[in-house]
Amino acid sequence: MHLFLLGVSHRTAPVNVREQLDFSSRDLGSAVEALAARTSTAESVVLSTCNRSEIYVASSNPEQARGELVDFLSDYHHLPREAFLPHMFVYDDAEAARHLFRVSAGLDSLVVGEPQILGQVKDAFQVAAQRHCTGPLLGKVFDWAFGVGKRVRAETGLGEGAVSVSYAAVALARKIFGRLDGRRVLVIGAGETSTLTAQHLRSQGVAEIAITSRTMAHAETLAQAVQGHAVPWEDMMPALARADIVVTATGAPRPILTRAQIESVTGRRRQDPLFIIDIAVPRDVESAVGDIEQVFLYNVDDLQSIVAENLSRRGAEIAHAEAIVSEELARFTTWQRSRASIPTVVALRQRFEAIRRSELQRLDSKLAGLPPEARARVDEVTRLIVEKLLLEPTEQLKALPDEETQVAYTEAVNRIFRLRDDDAPDAGREKAPTNRTQRRHT
Amino acid sequence: MNILPFLLYAAAAIAYALHFGRREPAMGRAATSLLLFAALTHTFVIGMQTMEVRSVPFANPSRAISTFVWLLTLSYLYLELTTDERAMGVFILPIVVVLQLIPVLYPGVEREDPVLNSPWFWVHVASLLFAYASFALAGVLGLTYVLQFKEIKKKHLGYFYTRLPSLQTLDVMNARAVTVGWIFLTVGVVVGAFWTGQAREMAPQNPNLQAMVLVDPKILIALLTWVVYSFAVLSRRTMGWTGRKAAWLSALGFAMVLLNFVPISYFVSTSHTFN
Repeated sequence: MHLFLLGVSHRTAPVNVREQLDFSSRDLGSAVEALAARTSTAESVVLSTCNRSEIYVASSNPEQARGELVDFLSDYHHLPREAFLPHMFVYDDAEAARHLFRVSAGLDSLVVGEPQILGQVKDAFQVAAQRHCTGPLLGKVFDWAFGVGKRVRAETGLGEGAVSVSYAAVALARKIFGRLDGRRVLVIGAGETSTLTAQHLRSQGVAEIAITSRTMAHAETLAQAVQGHAVPWEDMMPALARADIVVTATGAPRPILTRAQIESVTGRRRQDPLFIIDIAVPRDVESAVGDIEQVFLYNVDDLQSIVAENLSRRGAEIAHAEAIVSEELARFTTWQRSRASIPTVVALRQRFEAIRRSELQRLDSKLAGLPPEARARVDEVTRLIVEKLLLEPTEQLKALPDEETQVAYTEAVNRIFRLRDDDAPDAGREKAPTNRTQRRHT
Repeated sequence: MNILPFLLYAAAAIAYALHFGRREPAMGRAATSLLLFAALTHTFVIGMQTMEVRSVPFANPSRAISTFVWLLTLSYLYLELTTDERAMGVFILPIVVVLQLIPVLYPGVEREDPVLNSPWFWVHVASLLFAYASFALAGVLGLTYVLQFKEIKKKHLGYFYTRLPSLQTLDVMNARAVTVGWIFLTVGVVVGAFWTGQAREMAPQNPNLQAMVLVDPKILIALLTWVVYSFAVLSRRTMGWTGRKAAWLSALGFAMVLLNFVPISYFVSTSHTFN
């Protein structure tokens, strides 16, 4: 059984191709079921996010699987093959496993180390498992991939540090205030980044989000989106006095918050910190405001340089994460190879067991006079002898270091013990000479 | 006997430093386990010595330092285990190791002075040692607050930013440590004064008791320390001196405590060396 993978990702396909091959907007479960029904693959999982559409299958014939999967994609999405074939990548066995491990670790993501992908891989597997489309091979390789994702996150800094301006602002707020529940936020001016920042702050459980804008309607729209409340522009100062975190994003040509204004409210706040995030260009807050003892003032450039630094720090962790992937892949392929020896091991055991039984059967008449306990003992002893004879060969076969040796060894075992159907002697032929000897003796 | 806990503390200090530098969770767990084991061993050593000489485990400065180290370790472990925050260990452990070196090098002479056989003396020293342990924690928390504050304020988010807890957490822990320390310091000083009066009646000729006057360096600095911490507690509540100001105050206070505890006890003051 081979692991086989086919798909497109942000690395190989432009967004318009990815969109057309997207499964996530439709019902992923029915897609997996359709795939299992229309192809000869034994196991299948479909992973579909906005950056990738990938199909993982277990198949005894990867070449055939490839053709079937291309047909399936073309039929399911009503697309001509030419539309996606040039953008498609195909991996099998170890390379397919490596790809899945890298994806789970966040190494293949658009933003390296982003944390959502591991959950998406888990969901994809879950959906397929619920529809009984998974089996021993995909079960094992996905389980392994979850482990790789966890390890990379625990042992490297790949997922550390915010990599967007809005997340960087929230991370800073957490570093200043600790938990954010109970904190009050004031948003001045409703723009895209201020909306995102307000949403992240809301998800951190802040107590209150007040929004003010020169156009009250804008404030009200944003207030609805983040479960906050709109404040008229004239009432900005009282709201400022209550706030712990201020996000400013107006289109004003000159600063709207001066040092004197902030000092008029910080006097009342004593030493409680005030975190001001100024994401407006041109800036909304006078830079002298940052000189006030308890005020932490960050503008959009400050936040962007944090993001750039975090990204470069993540970059430095990539090698470490790749090393973990390679290490796990080596362990996985060893496991897979041990699985490839299983048919030989099973055949070998069956052969020995058959010989044991036939010999016991032959001796049946001689053993008939023995009491039942003694007969049971004979059965047990012969069984133990067979077990012990097979113990070492079994372990050796399962622990072969590479594929070449494995092929050579299993072939040798197959020949020496004549394990294949075509060259295995049937029970009658084996018995015949012994029967003859027996007859000669009697 | 003090060498065994010393070696274990040193090993724990290395583990905490490695954990701080590399941020490996396994190393952090190893550091905590080592420190727990060191504290346990130290408990045993202090218990044995106390039973051996049948006196309180702080009858001379070296043993007082050893007991202080032990209390500081226990207080730190309490802080770490309740907050699940290991970053402070790398700052506390050097203090622990350096101070524990003193009883290892100068075990001190055991001579039992009968005036020390008073429950008041016991309360006096135990309170002060516990107060000093709290102040040590507060001092370290203050120092880390300042380091982190600087990085955030100057927008150079670097080494400490990724390793230390939030400013708010550091400030709250600092306030708690200062308050607890101040309460024990007050109790220790008041009981000390009370006990001196009692002991003077018992042994009017004792030179130590004669030396216990306000201008004795050890007593004077202890009172100044009390003034500093009283101001820290009061200013936080009434003047809003939190954050960086409170952090500097607790660092200043702890510097005074250390000064009083080691050089003055050994070289300057005559009032508190009963041997």
